Amino acid sequence: MRVDIELGINGSRSRFAVEPDERLVSTLRDRAGLTGTKQGCKIGECGACSVIMDGKLVPSCLVLSASADGADLLTVEGVAQDGNLSDLQQAFVAEGAIQCGYCTPGMLLAGEYLLSRYQRPDTAQIKEAIAGNLCRCTGYTKIVAAIRKTAKKRSLVKSSAQGR
Amino acid sequence: MKCTVVGKRVERKDARAKVTGETIYPSDRSREGMLWVVAVRAAHPHARILSIDTERAAAAAGVVRVLTARDVPGENAFGIQFHDMPVLCSDRVRYLGDVVALVGAESRRAARQAAALVAVDYQPLALLTDPEQALDPATPALHPGGNILHEVHFHKGNISVGFQKSAVIVERSYQLPMMDHAFLETEAGLSYFDENDVLCVESCGQYIYRDRKQIASVLGLAEEKIRVSAEMVGGAFGGKDDITVQIQLALMTYVTGRPAKMVASREESIVAHSKRHPASMWFKTGASKSGKLMAVEARFLSDTGAYASLGGPVLNLMAEHAAGPYLVPHVKVDGHVVYTNNGFSGAFRGFGCTQACVGIESQMDLMARALRRDPLAFRQANVLHQGDAAGLGYEMKTAVGAEPTIRAARAGKLYRQRRRIKKDRTHVSPSLAPFIRRGVGVASQMQGLGLGVGIEDQAEVEVVLGPGGAVRVKVGTTEIGQGAYTAYAQMTAERLGVPLEQVEIVGADTGTCPDSGATTASRTTYAVGNAILLAIAKLEQRRSAWAAQGTGRENLSARANFTVPTQDRQLGDGLPHLLYSYGTHVVLVEVNTLTGEISVEAVEAYLDGGRVVSPLGFEGQSEGGIAQGIGYTLFEEVLLDRGRFLNTNFDTYILPSSKDVPTAIHTVPIEVMEKSGPLGAKGISETCTVGVAPAILNALEDAIGIRFVRLPVRAEDVILAREESPHES
Repeated sequence: MRVDIELGINGSRSRFAVEPDERLVSTLRDRAGLTGTKQGCKIGECGACSVIMDGKLVPSCLVLSASADGADLLTVEGVAQDGNLSDLQQAFVAEGAIQCGYCTPGMLLAGEYLLSRYQRPDTAQIKEAIAGNLCRCTGYTKIVAAIRKTAKKRSLVKSSAQGR
Repeated sequence: MKCTVVGKRVERKDARAKVTGETIYPSDRSREGMLWVVAVRAAHPHARILSIDTERAAAAAGVVRVLTARDVPGENAFGIQFHDMPVLCSDRVRYLGDVVALVGAESRRAARQAAALVAVDYQPLALLTDPEQALDPATPALHPGGNILHEVHFHKGNISVGFQKSAVIVERSYQLPMMDHAFLETEAGLSYFDENDVLCVESCGQYIYRDRKQIASVLGLAEEKIRVSAEMVGGAFGGKDDITVQIQLALMTYVTGRPAKMVASREESIVAHSKRHPASMWFKTGASKSGKLMAVEARFLSDTGAYASLGGPVLNLMAEHAAGPYLVPHVKVDGHVVYTNNGFSGAFRGFGCTQACVGIESQMDLMARALRRDPLAFRQANVLHQGDAAGLGYEMKTAVGAEPTIRAARAGKLYRQRRRIKKDRTHVSPSLAPFIRRGVGVASQMQGLGLGVGIEDQAEVEVVLGPGGAVRVKVGTTEIGQGAYTAYAQMTAERLGVPLEQVEIVGADTGTCPDSGATTASRTTYAVGNAILLAIAKLEQRRSAWAAQGTGRENLSARANFTVPTQDRQLGDGLPHLLYSYGTHVVLVEVNTLTGEISVEAVEAYLDGGRVVSPLGFEGQSEGGIAQGIGYTLFEEVLLDRGRFLNTNFDTYILPSSKDVPTAIHTVPIEVMEKSGPLGAKGISETCTVGVAPAILNALEDAIGIRFVRLPVRAEDVILAREESPHES
């Protein structure tokens, strides 16, 4: 018995017939073909499967697809606009925040989520924000730096816009 | 030599695709009509198999095929050094990761459900879980050759004379845990027959050509009929050096003719793949009153678990690095590596050096303390230089950067200002301040580069000059995250004088790339880099010959093969090395004596891997190596109870998170140029993690006066040790 659901993924809506116990990460990867969302532990510990669902960061391995019916999702594939990297993506590239890259999609979305809530997070806040996303390669240093630089850049843009 | 591309902070070649989610990893691959494959693994860590009944599983909905040992057409065994691991067990299982059947089904769900229906009748056998017991010849053998996989016995000088000449003698035993690589992407891959009837395996291995050879022998197929690729992989650290899913996939496709996909669950991954060897070590070391190292004696007992993997070479490297980067006249090392039913262990970043370094660098600190000497000055006074005799007696013939790393560390901020930094409590609340202790610790290390004497260590590459100045470099090594492809591209651009953007690295596919050897042993920048430069030299020769004849050619390609040089005399498999990388770590730890919590507050890493090709990659390796070292020292231990794994996912196997690794990491390149290296480069990917654990242990003693000799050191260990300590403060 399948459950029919509708998901808004990166701005476009699609329908899926999912198993009742199917997890969102599987729907995204196996049905929608969006393999940018990774799976590392399936118990919500590693954060590789993080997506933004209705404005909140969630581990998609712990979300039942059936319960996500109607939700709006942002996955890593939706971060760049028309082939242009977002400022956070650019910062990840420039700072060397990527090694094997398997944690990168989840890290990016955790970073985006943080920056959607705080204009100028300090290092402790950044570390807290990505504490649910494990990275085995980088030691996190350059990921923290990339998020911090992006926050700074965004708030400068904002304040200069306000000053005008 | 001045470089314009090498040494520049360029972005990784693969960063853009990775940041958009476009990069296809082994677990992302799929193909029309593919089967999902699930392995049925042993239900007992040691048992005789009386029968395997696949009937119910085979009849289950969606199941296409259930394979057992009878379906293996060729040799039912594989392994890097010895073919001792069964592909599919028929008579006996030796650890919980052993595979007795493979289920291929139309969906992953169907495959999983059917796997539970495979009925195996086991007769449990006596477990061997204590490595000491494995040394007893009366213990029933896990393998035909007995339970001792390998032993080493080295004696240089005269160890008793060494101790007679010592004013200070320190003796300690150390216990080191089994550690999981915890690559974020579990073992995964896809297999299929292509239109030319070639069996393709797109997977996650660290050496595609060796994988192909092993698949061929299991299937009884010619190697040319098999194509193995592993371009982008989600982390490995040595844990994907042994074959994981490759043979299982190939076998399913071979038998059914269908494409097949496998992705290990995390629980399965932690049970099934190799680990860092758990080891017990005993060290006795002595130094003269004037602070000269006189004697290092070490005994190792390493547990390789159920299968050999690289247990022998890992023990060899423990022995090779037992005396550290120091000049020691009298050295005696004895070691055994034994079989048990404790999972199995193999290659892991550091490869034996990690273990040995915990011992010797703890000893160095204890001796410095007993002699009332500055710990770095003590190391500096005893450090190896080029031309000196190494611990096992052979000459250090290539560039030795140990001393410069120590010198730089001594001049660094953390070490110079350690007394002030230790007292600093400005960052903690006044109520907590009385409970805070800080300490600074150091460790120096060396790490053999390449596979060592007696193991074929070659890299072949092809460089192709295309139209419009495009350059393609075909290499057989895998991009497992380390950033080597970017370093290859930089060296290519540097030597050819073309912009970096024009260089494309085509990687890790036996169908298109030559055999560049294994992606292991800190070897690829050095070995592949040298091969690239040789190929370019050939191209330029040809180009000038064409020019002399007045003819031009747009498409030109050259292959070159580089053999990693070794010492002349072999002391064991892969023993010793000719080339080493070096490093000194300085670590600041903070201990909350109320809760026992330990936090690493700052690390300075002074690393010599010759010329730095890719600074972002160099720093990234260092930072990640430090994080892994923190994990090894403070968090990680695969726990086994009677051969059964207790912590098989990240809720119980704890990895360092962003909050456990300091942002204050300062990596300083100490570039001692290696003449035989490509543009003076060697490698860095292991030495950057090796010294971290002992540096933390030394910092802990500096902070709270307690010498920890067992890893990992957890908060509860701090509390318990302080309760027992006479110096409790």
